[in-house]
Amino acid sequence: MKKFLKGATGKSFITYAMLIIAFTAVQITVSGGHASNMFQGLLVPFCVYSIAAASLNLTVGILGELSLGQAGFMCIGAYSSALFSVCTKETITSAWIRFPIAILIGGFFAALFGVLIGIPVLRLRGDYLAIVTLAFGEIIKNVFAALYVGYDSRGLHFSLTSQGDLGLEPDGKMLINGALGISGTPKDSTFIIGFIVLLITMIILYNFINSRTGRAVMCIRDNRIAAESIGLNITKYKLITFGLTAFLAGVAGALFSHNLSILQASKFDYNLSILILVFVVLGGIGNIRGSVIAAVVLTYLPEVLRSINNYRMLMYSVVLIVMMIFTSNDKIRGFFSASLMKLKGLIFKNKAVKEGE
Amino acid sequence: MALLEVKKLGISFGGLRAVDDFSMTIEKGQLYGLIGPNGAGKTTIFNLLTGVYKPTDGTIRLDGVNITGKSTIEINKAGIARTFQNIRLFSNLSVLDNVKAGLSNHYAYSTATGIFRLPGYFKKEKAMNERAIELLKPFDLQDDAETLASNLPYGKQRKLEIARALATEPKLLLLDEPAAGMNPKETAGLMDTILTVRDEFGVTVLLIEHDMFLVSGICERLSVLNFGQLLCEGKTGDVLSDPEVIKAYLGE
Ligand SMILES: Nc1ncnc2c1ncn2[C@@H]1O[C@H](COP(=O)(O)OP(=O)(O)OP(=O)(O)O)[C@@H](O)[C@H]1O
Ligand SMILES: [Mg+2]
Repeated sequence: MKKFLKGATGKSFITYAMLIIAFTAVQITVSGGHASNMFQGLLVPFCVYSIAAASLNLTVGILGELSLGQAGFMCIGAYSSALFSVCTKETITSAWIRFPIAILIGGFFAALFGVLIGIPVLRLRGDYLAIVTLAFGEIIKNVFAALYVGYDSRGLHFSLTSQGDLGLEPDGKMLINGALGISGTPKDSTFIIGFIVLLITMIILYNFINSRTGRAVMCIRDNRIAAESIGLNITKYKLITFGLTAFLAGVAGALFSHNLSILQASKFDYNLSILILVFVVLGGIGNIRGSVIAAVVLTYLPEVLRSINNYRMLMYSVVLIVMMIFTSNDKIRGFFSASLMKLKGLIFKNKAVKEGE
Repeated sequence: MALLEVKKLGISFGGLRAVDDFSMTIEKGQLYGLIGPNGAGKTTIFNLLTGVYKPTDGTIRLDGVNITGKSTIEINKAGIARTFQNIRLFSNLSVLDNVKAGLSNHYAYSTATGIFRLPGYFKKEKAMNERAIELLKPFDLQDDAETLASNLPYGKQRKLEIARALATEPKLLLLDEPAAGMNPKETAGLMDTILTVRDEFGVTVLLIEHDMFLVSGICERLSVLNFGQLLCEGKTGDVLSDPEVIKAYLGE
């Protein structure tokens, strides 16, 4: 049993169990009326950021490439899924059918862009992916902020300048209204759906890592020359990984957009990409479970600290530093686990002595 | 037909002619040695044979197929696997997973099969695990299967590299200084292992080695390289007693 829990499958099962326990605890608290409005409002964002961070960790920690464009992929997922839902909310009335399709659409378009970017960039060695994804994120945000889409009896109309430029008929309908974004997206994102999607994301990530493909990806990360020498197709595996990261970021974007009444592109800026990268780094690079914990803690904390407004950012930065030290410094980690062992030894020894008496 | 036929191979790095007019023929099943002083160009020849470097001149044929200029991946699939002078393991992976990575192309299943844990996943992974353990046994590594590769002692790391290379089912196995850093007892053990591996797995072996005890003990034929050029070639006993070779090794 102990061996099982230490193995790869065991690790993933511990994570699933932790998530299910946390979910149950939250459900009990909420239904008992003990949760504040602020906390309830954060439940979907917890899921969104956890998915975004865990999937980014696949590219950063497992593949070993830096990506600074997670917000861009979320943006594509958010817009494409919201567009789908806005257009179909009258025809498909059940959210349980409409929303899963919307989520898949969000993931699909994000993955499509991921692969399109990946094909030229992932062939190169070096940090080109970071540079290109950084530019990509900014371009996507600005294009969506300038995009006007509407439809009338003559069909769809696009413009990158203004609403008037579309020349809509009077009974036409605006779908994307430039910087004002998309409004009227059905609020399909609930905590239950968010949790289910998060759990599926974790299963996908763990299964991917503990499969032939995931193993090949880690080989490439550890030693590219040796990976080539045993016949592993570097570009193919990098593309698959980056595509999966983009897909899941798109899924997170879809959850995000269906939690807001107005979706604006300005939300998906550089800061969001960096924030998600911070979750990954602080949760531990390559540690999928850590990403989720970091995403939840660091999303919750700034909101809790609002009550002590003046010291909010100070506290936040202290937490960042402490987490960084804990997750990335082997010596300190070793020190704490060693003292933990000592403590255990002390307790058990005392017990033994008592039993001996 | 010879397994490996190298004709007039050459490469230049800027002004340096690292390998020049190098030819070599290795028969199936042979245990062949490539020796020469430091900087002679031995590792460069391995890099040429495996497509890490593209030759400026010459041709390489494996089992009659021209593999000159092909990529490392294609050459591995064609049947050449290697180890490295500076050990290159997948250090954050377990010993077992290092070998399983080598088996990857022969026990293929799709990424989707892996993610959705379809029956193919369990079947292939089980077969892969069994095969990997079989590959670890000749190197006495089966008890270290769950150890992280980077936590292995040096000698075992070298052996793991050989096991990983064998996992790709090569026709020709290239070993770059397999005994480097081993003590005489470990070297003697390694010599036995190389012979067993050759017979059990039916591979042809080409090895680079400075340890003359190993070279004279197991190599059937030798090529001697000096300043990128072939100095002499022949049966091990004849080559090692050649005055030219002794001069190249000991200096004037
Ligand atoms: N990529 C490269 N660029 C420039 N010069 C190189 C490169 N690779 C090898 N060389 C040069 O080619 C020559 C042969 O090097 P090589 O590593 O093949 O020697 P070697 O016979 O394996 O030596 P050793 O016994 O020390 O391993 C050396 O002078 C080396 O500096
Ligand atoms: Mg060398």
